[in-house]
Amino acid sequence: MASTLTRAVFTKPNLNQVAVPLGNVLVRKQQTAPPPTKEKYGPLADEDRIFTNLYGRHDWRLKGAVKRGDWYKTKEIIDKGADFIINEVKNSGLRGRGGAGFPSGMKWSFMNKPSDGRPKYLVVNADEGEPGTCKDREIMRHDPHKLVEGCLIAGRAMGARAAYIYIRGEFYNEASNMQVAIAEAYQAGLIGKNACGSGYDFDVFMHRGAGAYICGEETALIESLEGKQGKPRLKPPFPADVGLFGCPTTVTNVETVAVSPTILRRGGKWFAGLGRPRNSGTKLFNISGHVNTPCTVEEEMSIPLRELIERHAGGVRGGWDNLLAIIPGGSSTPLIPKEVCDNAIMDFDGLLACQTSLGTAAIIVMDKSTDIVKAISRLIMFYKHESCGQCTPCREGINWMYKITERFVTGNAQPAEIDMLWELSKQIEGHTICALGDGAAWPVQGLIRHFRPELEARMKKFHESNPQRRAAAN
Amino acid sequence: MLRVPLSKALPNAVKAVCSPKRGSTTLAKAPEKIEVFIDDKSVMVEPGTTVLQAAAMVGVEIPRFCYHERLAVAGNCRMCLVEVEKSPKPVAACAMPVMKGWRIKTNSDMTKKAREGVMEFLLVNHPLDCPICDQGGECDLQDQSMAFGSDRSRFTDIQFSGKRAVEDKDVGPLIKTVMTRCIHCTRCIRFASEVAGIDDLGTTGRGSDMQIGTYVEKFFLSELSGNVIDLCPVGALTSKPYAFTARPWETRKTESVDVLDAVGSNIIVSTRTGEVMRILPRLNEEVNEEWLSDKARFSYDGLKRQRLITPMLKGPEGELLPVEWEDALSFASKAIRDAGSEIGVIAGGQADAEALIALKDLINKLGSELVCTERAFPDDGAGTDLRSSYLLNSKITGIEEADVVLLIGTNPRFEAPLVNSRIRKAWVHNELEVGLIGPCVNLTYSFDHLGEDPNVIEEVLSGKHPFAKKLLNAKKPLIILGSQQLERNDGVAILSKVQQMAKHLSSKIGSEWKVLNILQQVASQVAALDLGYKAGVESLKECPPKVLFLLGADECAITRDDLPQSTTVIYLGSHGDNGASMADIVLPAAAYTEKQATYVNTEGRAQQTLVAVTPPGMAREDWKIIRAISEVVGKKLPYDTLNEIRGRLEQVSPNLTRYGEAEEANFYDQAVELSKEACNKLDCEPLEVKYKDLEDYYMTDPISRASTTMAKCVQAVRKQKESKYYDSGTA
Amino acid sequence: MAASELARKGPKLVKPILSIDHGEARRRVLNLYKTWYRQIPYIVLDFDIPKNIEQCRAKLREEFRKNAHVKDVRVIDMLVIKGQMELKETVHGWKTKGHVMTFFKDTQEPKPEGFLAKFISGTN
Repeated sequence: MASTLTRAVFTKPNLNQVAVPLGNVLVRKQQTAPPPTKEKYGPLADEDRIFTNLYGRHDWRLKGAVKRGDWYKTKEIIDKGADFIINEVKNSGLRGRGGAGFPSGMKWSFMNKPSDGRPKYLVVNADEGEPGTCKDREIMRHDPHKLVEGCLIAGRAMGARAAYIYIRGEFYNEASNMQVAIAEAYQAGLIGKNACGSGYDFDVFMHRGAGAYICGEETALIESLEGKQGKPRLKPPFPADVGLFGCPTTVTNVETVAVSPTILRRGGKWFAGLGRPRNSGTKLFNISGHVNTPCTVEEEMSIPLRELIERHAGGVRGGWDNLLAIIPGGSSTPLIPKEVCDNAIMDFDGLLACQTSLGTAAIIVMDKSTDIVKAISRLIMFYKHESCGQCTPCREGINWMYKITERFVTGNAQPAEIDMLWELSKQIEGHTICALGDGAAWPVQGLIRHFRPELEARMKKFHESNPQRRAAAN
Repeated sequence: MLRVPLSKALPNAVKAVCSPKRGSTTLAKAPEKIEVFIDDKSVMVEPGTTVLQAAAMVGVEIPRFCYHERLAVAGNCRMCLVEVEKSPKPVAACAMPVMKGWRIKTNSDMTKKAREGVMEFLLVNHPLDCPICDQGGECDLQDQSMAFGSDRSRFTDIQFSGKRAVEDKDVGPLIKTVMTRCIHCTRCIRFASEVAGIDDLGTTGRGSDMQIGTYVEKFFLSELSGNVIDLCPVGALTSKPYAFTARPWETRKTESVDVLDAVGSNIIVSTRTGEVMRILPRLNEEVNEEWLSDKARFSYDGLKRQRLITPMLKGPEGELLPVEWEDALSFASKAIRDAGSEIGVIAGGQADAEALIALKDLINKLGSELVCTERAFPDDGAGTDLRSSYLLNSKITGIEEADVVLLIGTNPRFEAPLVNSRIRKAWVHNELEVGLIGPCVNLTYSFDHLGEDPNVIEEVLSGKHPFAKKLLNAKKPLIILGSQQLERNDGVAILSKVQQMAKHLSSKIGSEWKVLNILQQVASQVAALDLGYKAGVESLKECPPKVLFLLGADECAITRDDLPQSTTVIYLGSHGDNGASMADIVLPAAAYTEKQATYVNTEGRAQQTLVAVTPPGMAREDWKIIRAISEVVGKKLPYDTLNEIRGRLEQVSPNLTRYGEAEEANFYDQAVELSKEACNKLDCEPLEVKYKDLEDYYMTDPISRASTTMAKCVQAVRKQKESKYYDSGTA
Repeated sequence: MAASELARKGPKLVKPILSIDHGEARRRVLNLYKTWYRQIPYIVLDFDIPKNIEQCRAKLREEFRKNAHVKDVRVIDMLVIKGQMELKETVHGWKTKGHVMTFFKDTQEPKPEGFLAKFISGTN
């Protein structure tokens, strides 16, 4: 999901902070904070699952969806009005699932202001392009009605005229299922004119992208929807002021929208009761890489990383001790080595304390057979390829970083270049129009932070085996 | 990639939000000022001011590449990043509006580091071929890397993978591209789509493969294309004719005025070793802003070709033979003495006011009144007696304020490209509505085409036409009438109708707003009419004189066939063009870069050219030739120096020596009354304009006709038309 | 009265350049003249100028006569020094033929006067 790029208010991990006594620190923190209601998070009870057809074992069409409780009393929810919906979402503590983790209630309330004559739009970011992430596609192909219903409710909360679902071009089946679901909803009178009989007119359009990662950035997505090159816009003005077609717009992730009907039906309190405070709710985790059974699973927030992997993904290939590192939130988050993974808590604050981030909760597990330098180099290649080329640090910097990391793979470099690479990544981070530059800089920073000895060893080895070749930085 | 200004698509409310700089004049009450601190210096600014503008107010220059004050903000070079206290990351000064109480640090460590980083990134793939780059010496990248860049290089990777290389594009005969040097600031793209109105440039590819170009093989042909050369902060777009000829520090710069159209664009003539190397625009907000049309910029090579460098007399077999000045002067004066009072003058499009007054004085001393201009103007009614009838009364800047413009029988895009760019500017930013009566041409903006029939004017005047309602409802309507229509047989009727329409509209508004505008086509016309020249050559055709002076008249208003065999034609001008070829005596004069001379533009603004180079060969300044003839003839004119002749100019028409100022015209009502009496019927012949297509634009006067660059442009347009990518609707 | 006295006395107070009185200055002038006079045959020969000795001596006389009106001893001295410099430059061959010929200024035309003359010569 490229929506990690929507990281609008991401606070930088504090680099001075030592990431070792995590558990203790967190416990102490919780003692000063309001007393925790729970000590143990996860596993999620079946009755608390929101995505009940995550694995496609049941009917994904309207009939099956209604059977699973979708579209139940949607009219009543709508009738309660925008303020109720926003309030309830605020109470639930739902944070954006696209990567930045911005509180959804607050985001939606930005839109809930008197109209100046322009229509408002809800844009659903279904351009799930972040490597490792595959949660939205599961929703769209197996539970599309959750999303359609969510669009209606979120749209109502903002007073939006229509929702645009911008779906990734590669998601062919997902797009067709979505389209079917939208058509079913129209036919059933659930959306469209007088949606659900509530007197509220709401349209849902689906737009297929053409496969650019950058189009998952909210302003680039808007540009792309408008039919232009998908290149991020400058902010301000923010989309909430001037967005799609110049009208107030909110761009939200699929998962955020899709969970909202259930939250409203079961109450914000229920949702807030799951996970640690400020990190509440359930979350779809994608576990991929060197695990025995890679999977997408809905789990409670704040579940320990190790437990998540061992319970749902059958553990790391070759046992936990064979673990090298984990990228916990999709390719753009910094990796964490095994020592950190041991105690990592899978929620926004827990991973922030590990100098990484929850991102899209796409966990990429790498065991000791991994060439970690090559893996990161490959990721940088991806970012180099997907950089839109609009602003200088990203366009030139990532290309440069890629060249350096590629040499690091063989070790054809000088140790001093490690510091240079670190500086380069700092020169990119925070200097670009959108967050793609940050997303490319963080994996490199994670690599240097945790695997510097590995890099130096490689260089040494290279120079020993190639004495005739003088290294780069002399 | 380029954002068309949102204001076109959005209601007014949004405009204030998204483009704080523009359109905010319409806000009802002036918003309260807010205080911000630039490097601890307090400054009060209006809300919506960007950090960069606020810094400029206290004299802090923030480095930039992509930002240009006349183009939309792109914010993509990131050079202007500055630290704002309490903000974790630096902000782009060009795009970020200031908030109350912000403390902006333009010289802090964070700011410096950010600049240094961006500079390094810009240079990673820049070829650093400054020694062979034409931008060297006036390159923003050079200057700013000296000022803000790092002092050492870390480009170890060039030993392994080299730098990016990009294929050069062929975008026409004027602009040379070296795309490897491009830093992707997109100024050229934004200029093309916002100012020039040609959406030919854009970006293709992404990331480090991004390229600026036309996508398909196509020329970037616009009457304003040369401006992208000035805009380009690096050497990616340079001037093709100027390539490898001079360095900016070698040239001498002379401030002057362009005379190839009636706008009077301010220019800088760069010269080296007595040769014009190039012409650049000079900032003048009231005339050309900082743009320049291609004809003005690139036809300077016409100053070196087809020049008359020696006096010539017609030999026994009709060929022109070079002679000394003494001979030429004595032959000329003999002819003049023999003619007595039967002598006439036709002044061409580039005659300066000094020459015009000298020649008029001489002719009057000889007892004749036959001083005419090439371009006609109706004689009935007020004729040319009231200045309001032949000026662009609302001034060029007035166009920006207008809300409805009606163009009648004119194609401003090619008659006065910079007037057209102002109309486009107003159209883009102010929701200007444009109507056009005349041939449907491409003006680079949308307009209501009301028809080609002159009777449409009558319909609009009587209020029958739907467009009349728009005019009547407008707060600041403008009518721009092409001077070419006044040369028609029913010119006086057209002028009269337009004057009545203007009077009607201005009486409705009741303010000082001027509605009536005439757009002249040639640089000399206003000065000539101010000095009392008769417009049009009809009177000369009726009674051909024995001696006919052509003062740079090359448009063939009178041909040899119109004159009896006995008439002696004396041509006084700079180029061997149509006029010289029909002359018996040719006197070589100076071109506009070679004399200090007065020109009055279509607004009535007096401006002067300065001497950049000396006239070639035996050529002399125009008025001095006339002064010399007068002495030989025995009717010595009473001025020997430039100051003295300017004194005479001032005597006749004081506005001609108030340089830089546009003298207001008045007596609008009287002009209407007078022309009403003379009013006759409109013809049904449709209105016609001379320059319809880009092809027609380039070669319109002796200088541009002599220019090879302009000829190449015409060729390029024709080639483009054969291209499969040519779209007649957009070109 | 005092002022004019001072003016009269003034020159007497000035430090002399070479000569103390008119007599000495005159001697120096004559000396210079004679030296030039004697050198002229050699100059004509060495520089191969298109003038004969008589013409050169006439020019020498003319050049000295040009300053005949000078009465101030200091000015005379200065002119003598300049003359000696010229002589030295000529005799030592530091001058070329063209330099020597500038004494005669044969190729120099008078500046045009009046508008028409200036116009034709292109100097205005």
